[in-house]
Amino acid sequence: MSRLSEIPVRVEGLPQSVDPSMTPAGLGGGIAAILSELAVLLERLAASDETAMIDLRSLPMSAADRILLQRALGDGEVHATLQAQGTSTARETGVAGVWWIEHRDAHDALLAELLEVARFPQILASAPDEIQQAAAALQARNSAAA
Amino acid sequence: MSTIPQVTVGEMLRRNGVSRRAFIKFCTASASAMALPAWMGAAMAEQLRHAPRPSVVYLSFQECTGCFESFTRSFAPTIENLMFDVISLDYDDTLMAASGSAAEAALAAAMKDNHGRYVLIVDGSIPTGAGGAYCTAGGRSADMTLRAAAEGAAVILAVGTCASFGGIPFANPNPTNAWPVSAIVAGKPIINVSGCPPIPEVITGTLLQYVTTGKLPDLDENLRPKAYFGNSIHDRCYRRPFYDAGKFAKSFDDEGARNGWCLYELGCKGPTTYNACATMKWNDGASFPIESGHGCLGCSEPDFWDKGSFYAAQSSADWNSAGETSPREVLELVGGTAAAGAVLGVGAAGAGRLRQHQSEKE
Repeated sequence: MSRLSEIPVRVEGLPQSVDPSMTPAGLGGGIAAILSELAVLLERLAASDETAMIDLRSLPMSAADRILLQRALGDGEVHATLQAQGTSTARETGVAGVWWIEHRDAHDALLAELLEVARFPQILASAPDEIQQAAAALQARNSAAA
Repeated sequence: MSTIPQVTVGEMLRRNGVSRRAFIKFCTASASAMALPAWMGAAMAEQLRHAPRPSVVYLSFQECTGCFESFTRSFAPTIENLMFDVISLDYDDTLMAASGSAAEAALAAAMKDNHGRYVLIVDGSIPTGAGGAYCTAGGRSADMTLRAAAEGAAVILAVGTCASFGGIPFANPNPTNAWPVSAIVAGKPIINVSGCPPIPEVITGTLLQYVTTGKLPDLDENLRPKAYFGNSIHDRCYRRPFYDAGKFAKSFDDEGARNGWCLYELGCKGPTTYNACATMKWNDGASFPIESGHGCLGCSEPDFWDKGSFYAAQSSADWNSAGETSPREVLELVGGTAAAGAVLGVGAAGAGRLRQHQSEKE
């Protein structure tokens, strides 16, 4: 066993479904707060195209909370994979406009985990300066071939 | 002052073949570790690409190397990312291949070439007893080396509770007459990154934040970055709902402990300890002491070793008192040291009884 993630962890006391009426004093109270925040952020995205991110690692969540949140958001249609010094995934959740982003390093260790509220995740877009460079390079190649 | 041009971080990334997206990823992970808003990652990536790659000098004094071990285990950013892409680690006696006079020459060269602009990281306290003989390297005492290195530093990061507040060497009776960095160096900006050891990502994140912005972060009254030390462990603890509900573990193997109830009555120092353990956690976010079933020891606070038993419940009268007087300071005030153990024991038991009394009333 060489990695922490390989140590088996059993999550105890996990409710079978998300109960929105769970009180803030119980486990899962934080999930209701995240879902409320997402609703506000989605309204803002719809109204003014304003994007937002929630850093899941900055929140005091238990392993059970994380699973509850995943269940609450569900799975959407798009699942993008990015190879940049390790794998990153951008998965659209079942809530349109809410993306679950995971960044992993070359050893597959989790570096960052975010919820991005956007039409598509920022990191997937090509950068304007790189597009310019690519256009120039392609022009040069075409000229040389001609 | 040296005229050696500084390489920018962007230039270093190009040389190392690091793509823009990979760097955004690195910065997003670092922003997360630095408790910055998540959208800052991309902004930071852009800013860092144009920033000069600073020289870093790391000095270890009276310490156990736990802080450095922690530093090397940072996941975001990793020390490799930092060293290859963002900083130039010019002297570190634990990591560097050179030894003896070659190592000493590397230190002298780094200090001369980057005079006035290098980042000085210090771990360990500085013993001043016996003319500094308790900690020497290259024929110089820790005190002499620190004063010389501090003179040309742009900023000093005191890493660990020993460098920040004196730590265990400073604990009563402080046989080596040890002091924290802030007691030795004057006139230089000092950032204390306390903890025994500090969270790896707090060390690297503080360093990265300084490199990104070129400015000191907002600091608390103990010179610690508020981004990491702004909240108490208690306020961010996932067991807090049990405290609020009055559910406490009474021993380490009772039903309450098995149910993950609050460890307050078992001596947890979370309410008076400011650190990021409850949110950033340790070992790549695997866990933190309270999640592993043990109360917080308060290791990132001044005089944590002299504040009584780790297993005695605190008095809520001690909460949120930044200028709190430690038992050791009380002893000094009353002029007694011989009965230290006895007085501390009484104090801790008293605090426990007070808490118990409050529980009974509730």
